[in-house]
Amino acid sequence: MSKRFLRLASLLAVSMLILAACGDGDSSDTTTGGDAEPAATAAPSDGGETFEIFALLPQGNDQPYGTTYLPPFEAKAAELGLNVTITNSQYDADKQASECEVAVAANPDLIILWPAVGDTVRPCLEAANAAGIPVTVTNSDLNPEDQELSAAYSGPDTYGQGVASAEIFCELAGGEDVGIIMVNGLTGNSTAIDREAGFEDTVNEQCPNVTILARQPGNWNKDESQIAASEMITAVGAENIGGAYAADDTMVAGVIDAFKAQGIDPADLIITSIGNTFLGNPLVVSGELDGTVFQSSSWDGENAAVVAHQVLSESPSERIVLFMPSVPVTADNADDPSVAPEW
Amino acid sequence: MTEKQGISLGEAQGGPWNRIRRTLARRTEGRALALLIIVVIVTAIMEPIAFTAYEVTLGSIALIGLVALGLTAVILMGELDLAVASTLALAGVVMASIDDLALGIVTALVVGLLIGVVNAFFVVVVGINSFIATLGMLFFLRGAAFVLSGEEPVRLSDIDAGIAFGKPLIGGLTPRMLLFILAFLALQVFVTRVRAGREFYAVGGNRQAAYDAGIPVRRRIFTGFMISGFVAALAGIINTLERTAADPTAGSTVLLASFAAAIIGGVLLTGGRGSVFGTLLGAASLGILQVALTLSGVQVDVQNIVIGSVLFIAVITDPNSLRSVLGSARSFFRGRSRASPT
Repeated sequence: MSKRFLRLASLLAVSMLILAACGDGDSSDTTTGGDAEPAATAAPSDGGETFEIFALLPQGNDQPYGTTYLPPFEAKAAELGLNVTITNSQYDADKQASECEVAVAANPDLIILWPAVGDTVRPCLEAANAAGIPVTVTNSDLNPEDQELSAAYSGPDTYGQGVASAEIFCELAGGEDVGIIMVNGLTGNSTAIDREAGFEDTVNEQCPNVTILARQPGNWNKDESQIAASEMITAVGAENIGGAYAADDTMVAGVIDAFKAQGIDPADLIITSIGNTFLGNPLVVSGELDGTVFQSSSWDGENAAVVAHQVLSESPSERIVLFMPSVPVTADNADDPSVAPEW
Repeated sequence: MTEKQGISLGEAQGGPWNRIRRTLARRTEGRALALLIIVVIVTAIMEPIAFTAYEVTLGSIALIGLVALGLTAVILMGELDLAVASTLALAGVVMASIDDLALGIVTALVVGLLIGVVNAFFVVVVGINSFIATLGMLFFLRGAAFVLSGEEPVRLSDIDAGIAFGKPLIGGLTPRMLLFILAFLALQVFVTRVRAGREFYAVGGNRQAAYDAGIPVRRRIFTGFMISGFVAALAGIINTLERTAADPTAGSTVLLASFAAAIIGGVLLTGGRGSVFGTLLGAASLGILQVALTLSGVQVDVQNIVIGSVLFIAVITDPNSLRSVLGSARSFFRGRSRASPT
């Protein structure tokens, strides 16, 4: 029996090789687009051309940001005549690479890429370029050396957000010596890396009196951030801490809870973050969080579609870069409707 | 020996139908094959591009299947290796951290083997349950990958070599697929033709009987974990080369997908039953399904529901499970009819 199965297995392997040899490469001829059923079918409101696009995202309705990113993205895409097939790799670089291969095989008019891990997307970009499929990037930009392989970027200036958060911090710290703890995003994530660098560079430059005593990843998660902050408070000593920075509002809520759990009033400290979310905005209003930086998920989603359409309709020779404005939100403007939280 | 007896008995007792029935009952791949046929037919109707772009589908199968193949060697002996995804991540980071590509590959493979040895040491020598031992290794290795990488992805020193590695080598087959085929053939030969491999079934089926029969059980368990570690490291090397960088968070979806492939393929988690071929069929079903669902633009939540359902069907259609469900149902209705006033 085992011999029979061995033969069958060998036959399977050989047939795969023969099949591959018969196909001999040129998949673009056999894999014309249109077979993939789009998630949202669209007809442009001005009666213009329609386009098939793939959006390779690392999150969707499983995350608060993705939940409020998707509806404006899909609505704008429908309005502009973009038939979108959306994937969600859940921040798994290998899964996104596999989805990219599927997208390239489907031969769409354009691919929108939100990199799960910025350092791993070059092969995907090269494959798309080789197939003549333009790629636009949303939310998290590519590494500088890979940017020439994409036609556009729209989204937050993640480094600039770190800078803006640090600027709020420096202004509040004045010339005083302040020791802080730092909770960063998911390790390896390009947004987390950029925000950390933006904050640290600005602090070193504008307020060297602020010292980062300890730093840990909070993985964009409130509970993990609270644990990380509690450990750091214990490790460096509460008496040495004058403030905290967290890379987003979800995590800063965990940091604030960690301070409260140790009997420290967060209002006595300088705390800043990024996001201005439903979680962070009330903390600014209450005075527990001194400042955050507004990130609009609807702006992000909508402009991903706008920029993709612009690339398809205008074929620009230069890479388009459209940064989301990094608006600081403090107690002075937290109630302003223009910075009303979205996620 | 048992197999030969079964066949001669069958031939004596019945015609070809009985023989087929007995063969199907004995083999564990039947459900996986039936499932694969259904998946292939549905995909061919709904998303034929999954087959015209066969290289993409084969890549997806290889991505899921490679780690699952190594895992099968451990599961056949009734053990678990939860550390495969972390092994994959650490091996990738080790390889990318070394400038010399060839030396990096060799070192990463050695690391995979050593991880297998350590896992087996805890299970065999210390006597810790493999679930707990490899759960500990899962966290340890993931932490080690973060520390070694400086908590950032590590780019290959030779990115062009990585991109070249991802290109087709023979026809549409990339080195990943060829290595997957080689790994499959090697493991299939090992567990069916080599005595040490065949003894995996005895170790998983009845460990005491295996000891009594003079099988070196400890050595076999060491071998199984080393195979699992080696194959996971190989998958980490391939992923790192193809992505041109090692991601310390890599493999987050690999562990469950690998177990799912093995279970769908009919490998019994308690050991003693299953085959490498079954795992291949399970990985093929999952790989094709994943490509078809991605092409359809089905949301990841719904994809998880579909894959979960497939796994559930694979488990409940196991003859033992069916017998147990039928037995429970029978006693339930018998109990109700006794309790009924009529």
